[in-house]
Amino acid sequence: MDPARRLLLACCLSLSVPGVAVAVATPGSAAPDFSLAARDGGKVRLADLKGQVVMINFWATWCGPCRQEMPLLAQLNTKYEPLGFTLLGVNVEPDSAAAVTWLKGMPVTFPILFDTDSTVAGSFGVEGMPSTVFVDRKGQVRYIHQGYKPGDEARYADMIRSLVKE
Amino acid sequence: MRQSIRAAIRLVLLLGLAAGATGCASVEPWVKPYERQYFADIVMSAERDPVAVSYLNHVFEAREGARGATGSHGGGCGCN
Repeated sequence: MDPARRLLLACCLSLSVPGVAVAVATPGSAAPDFSLAARDGGKVRLADLKGQVVMINFWATWCGPCRQEMPLLAQLNTKYEPLGFTLLGVNVEPDSAAAVTWLKGMPVTFPILFDTDSTVAGSFGVEGMPSTVFVDRKGQVRYIHQGYKPGDEARYADMIRSLVKE
Repeated sequence: MRQSIRAAIRLVLLLGLAAGATGCASVEPWVKPYERQYFADIVMSAERDPVAVSYLNHVFEAREGARGATGSHGGGCGCN
């Protein structure tokens, strides 16, 4: 094969393989840092929460199970907050107006962050809604839970308890 | 001369084939799980005029002698 032809073949082959490798969070990897606007007007950065057990819950108002678990998450937060635990609710909707309205009737006290362009959901490789990521005190992703069925809150509590003890 | 034209045609064909093959490369879910609200957007609806649709459905049901089971609501986001 002459060089010109080889080059052409290489070009064609490279055209047909546009696969993009995206690094996503997996248990054991460092949690990708982010800084997002919060409901109370401030900004929350994950790196600032190092030393705490952080539970990141990706949710949306159009997601039924997410709405279902929200009051239970609020309970978990008030129960474990004194032990160095923070719960972050990351809303993935491009327009956060629906979330703000819906939250008015909810007993939610933990920070709600707005990921309007889905960059954080993308960097965590969210594969289902809701997705709940547990980050330990060192900033490592330890466990990723997808979806919500009644009873899953017990698994959340188990996970929080074991991480808080570390 | 003729040979160079043939080579050029082959090149164009090959490039076209390669460009076409990119379409099959990574068809992963286009819409990520956290983007499912886009399914519920009005532009995703094939039937946007309720009056015309109800008329057409009426005619269709009369012709088929059956009604219902013509589809489901929503686009899979689980929101309605």
